[in-house]
Amino acid sequence: MSTVQVEAQGLSKNFFDQSRGEVKAVQEVNFECRGSEIFGLLGANGAGKTTTLRMISTVLQPTAGTARVLGHDVVSDPVEVRRNLGFYSASTALYPRLTARETLTLFARVNMYPAERTRSRVEEMIERFGLGDYAGARIEKLSSGMKQKVSIARTVVHDPPVLIFDEPTVGLDVLNALDLQKAIQELREDGKAILFSTHIMSEAERLCDRIAIIDKGRIRACDDLEGLRAATSRHYLEDIFVHYVTGNDTTA
Amino acid sequence: MNRRTVTALVVNDLRQLARNPRVLVFAVALPLVLWPLMWFLTSLTTERRQERIESRTYTYAVADESADVAGTADARTWLERALAVVGDDGRADGNEPTAGPAVRFERVEAPDDVAAALDEERLHVHVAWEAGGDEDLPDEDVDRETVGNDGQGAPRIVLSYRADLDASDSAEAFLRRALERTRAELREQRLATAGFASAPDDLLPLERIETASEEQTSGLLLGRLLTAIIVMMMLAGGSIVATDALAGEKERGTLETLLTTAASRVEIVTAKNLSILAVAFATSVLNIVNIVVWMQLDLIAPPAGLKLVIPIGAGLLLVLLYAPAAVLLSSSLLLVSGRSKTYKEAQLLFAPVMLVAMAVAAIPVLPGVELRSAIVLLPIANLGVAAREILTGQYDWPLLAAAWAVTGGAAALLARASVRTLSAEKLITASELDAADLAGGPALFPRRVARWFAVLWALLLVWQLNIGGSIDSRLLISINMAIFGAAAWLMIGRYRLPVRETLSLRAPPAGAWLGVLIGAPAGLVLADGIVRLASLAMPIPEAWIEAMAENMGAGLPLWQMLIFFSLMPALFEEIAFRGVLLHGLKNRLTTVQLVLVAGIAFGFFHVDLFRIPPTSLLGVFLVVTVVRSGSIFPAMAWHGLHNALALGSARVEQIALPEQPIWWHYVLAALAILLAFRLMKRRTRAAFS
Repeated sequence: MSTVQVEAQGLSKNFFDQSRGEVKAVQEVNFECRGSEIFGLLGANGAGKTTTLRMISTVLQPTAGTARVLGHDVVSDPVEVRRNLGFYSASTALYPRLTARETLTLFARVNMYPAERTRSRVEEMIERFGLGDYAGARIEKLSSGMKQKVSIARTVVHDPPVLIFDEPTVGLDVLNALDLQKAIQELREDGKAILFSTHIMSEAERLCDRIAIIDKGRIRACDDLEGLRAATSRHYLEDIFVHYVTGNDTTA
Repeated sequence: MNRRTVTALVVNDLRQLARNPRVLVFAVALPLVLWPLMWFLTSLTTERRQERIESRTYTYAVADESADVAGTADARTWLERALAVVGDDGRADGNEPTAGPAVRFERVEAPDDVAAALDEERLHVHVAWEAGGDEDLPDEDVDRETVGNDGQGAPRIVLSYRADLDASDSAEAFLRRALERTRAELREQRLATAGFASAPDDLLPLERIETASEEQTSGLLLGRLLTAIIVMMMLAGGSIVATDALAGEKERGTLETLLTTAASRVEIVTAKNLSILAVAFATSVLNIVNIVVWMQLDLIAPPAGLKLVIPIGAGLLLVLLYAPAAVLLSSSLLLVSGRSKTYKEAQLLFAPVMLVAMAVAAIPVLPGVELRSAIVLLPIANLGVAAREILTGQYDWPLLAAAWAVTGGAAALLARASVRTLSAEKLITASELDAADLAGGPALFPRRVARWFAVLWALLLVWQLNIGGSIDSRLLISINMAIFGAAAWLMIGRYRLPVRETLSLRAPPAGAWLGVLIGAPAGLVLADGIVRLASLAMPIPEAWIEAMAENMGAGLPLWQMLIFFSLMPALFEEIAFRGVLLHGLKNRLTTVQLVLVAGIAFGFFHVDLFRIPPTSLLGVFLVVTVVRSGSIFPAMAWHGLHNALALGSARVEQIALPEQPIWWHYVLAALAILLAFRLMKRRTRAAFS
């Protein structure tokens, strides 16, 4: 079995809001993710998925608890954490006036990919994601499908062992979403540890090796699909999700 | 810091800019044409106006020539002679003598309605006679000025014109000047007729000798303007990148992408600052070269007396001098960009930053402001005044270093604030607040205390620079203490601070009082040492010592001196600095940092440059006293005793220092200070906190 690449222990995050006061966005979340594994965070909007992933990517600081990426603590060693990590979300945009090739070169450099191998790695990514014909075109001129491919290539160009995909298919059409899922599966085959958040049940069923159901900042259940089925005596993930989140039985 | 990362980020920013044609056209190319064009058009308009003024035929009318006013014959002679020479002595504004042709005046028939004729420009100036004496004084609602004598006994000429109409205004100016000149000639003739044969120019002739070299005169003019011009150009150029640097990235969504890379916050801020500086520098150089080219082509002319020649040494020194100012400006812009939620908000917030920076950069224009004054503490303004002095050949090295360090320190603080802005979660999340924001009150105060004292310092600086020296020392101290007291009261009230804990109102250990008795005199001796040390770099002028003795209440009764110079500072300054300031900082700094920061801050509030070193040392001792004893009362006693002893020594010696320092005095004093602090019975930091 692969080694643990990401682990979260008691990870908690509180926000403060003028109207709502203190909001406990994430509460004592524990999980781990290994190489060649897609670990899914399944939850409704506002459940705490993005906040959890942002803490792991060091953009947010935990209020309590800790998380480690390849043994590097997210609070005390954030640069090493980010160096070993690729973060993709619907809100991580690209620079519109750079070309695809320039974008990949930029992110390889800022993520400290070895200088002597940067050029060949960029060309490898261009070929792998089928960007060849558009590598010299500015991002602003590309279709949304091509932009998405550049985004994935940007996320993995520095060959990080850990990848975070935060609701990556939001806003994509079916074909582009399937393309993206295929790319994520290929990355798992490359040995990457992948944290994948979604609120789409079919996506989680198809992709994730293990699924954590998160609701109101807490993880309600965490197992592989078979384990969740066995624990709830329900077949469909949708029913399993509802069971944990509301306690209501939707089965006939 | 990884140089490769920073370089990649800078190249990315510059590439983004270079590929934005709209920004390049409107923010870079257009100003290159517009600035000199405006200059050129202004010169052209002025020239054309002058030509028009000199070539125009002005109309005048003389009213009521047949009126029987005593002495009008003289007045007519005067007018005729003036009309014969009008315009050949100067321009309408009288500033630039010219040898041009006489201005043409054409007489027209006097109209019935003078005001209407002037309004319709059928007439440019109307001439009337008035009898002398007080009986015909002008109406109060008409703006009139008597030309000639005081109106007693002799007729006067009254010129009516319209100041808001260019032709009428010029006509009046030409005619008035001609009348004044002619009157002087008439007077000289009469004096000669009366037997006063001496030519007026022979009487007490005046000669002026200007000892400043041409370079110094030109350097003064350039030095007054240089900082404002550079700051304006840097801001205009830097804001092009700064707006996009963080606010633009935030709006586009690329900031989160960047923040999840291995680039550290420091590297990102450094790269952004370098991008702003590079563009600001490039656009400034472009603008300067552009203006020089226009000047070489004789399309625009530099201001009279200005030579754009700077010696190489001075030029290099100026580049070094302006470096921290450039970083300060770029960090300010970056900070504003980071604090803004959108591109538009950043553009909006740049306006006040630019106004403040320009106001500070314009200080070298003010006459009488010298570097060897409190201005050395004001970032950017200090470098501006330093640049002006360098360009006039004055090199005050210790003060140049101090000015550079002050602006550099401010730049470092702002750069650090930019890094912290990038670490702020508000950048990414929808949450606007953190725990302290939400809780407010005492939890928020540690984050606000520096802001409060910065405003207080600025207020005190403005007050001292403008009014401080001109009022009675008792009133000055009373107002200063009222400011400190009011600020402390406001902060305690605004943040609901617990008074006893904030002001360390606790009974001190008994040994603390003995410590004060030993420490205060020893501290005064060490203050003398620090003044001597500082005077090696900044010799204290005699005038300052005299002014100081005066300010310290020379001539006041002893009891008043003790109240105003000892008791009041001991109460109000301690409440503000060892109470409120210390309370705000104590949980954010280590003990050593706390002692140094709070102590030196106290020194900087004594705005006078030469008082900063000894008062900083006193501040350090007083902070240690509170930290060690856990109580503000020994610090109050130390402060009061220190000031009383200083007053006593001033009364005896007029602050005259012995010729040679006696080193063993200082060694003994240092040992006594250590003993004093030991006597204050160490309490744990927790007890103080």
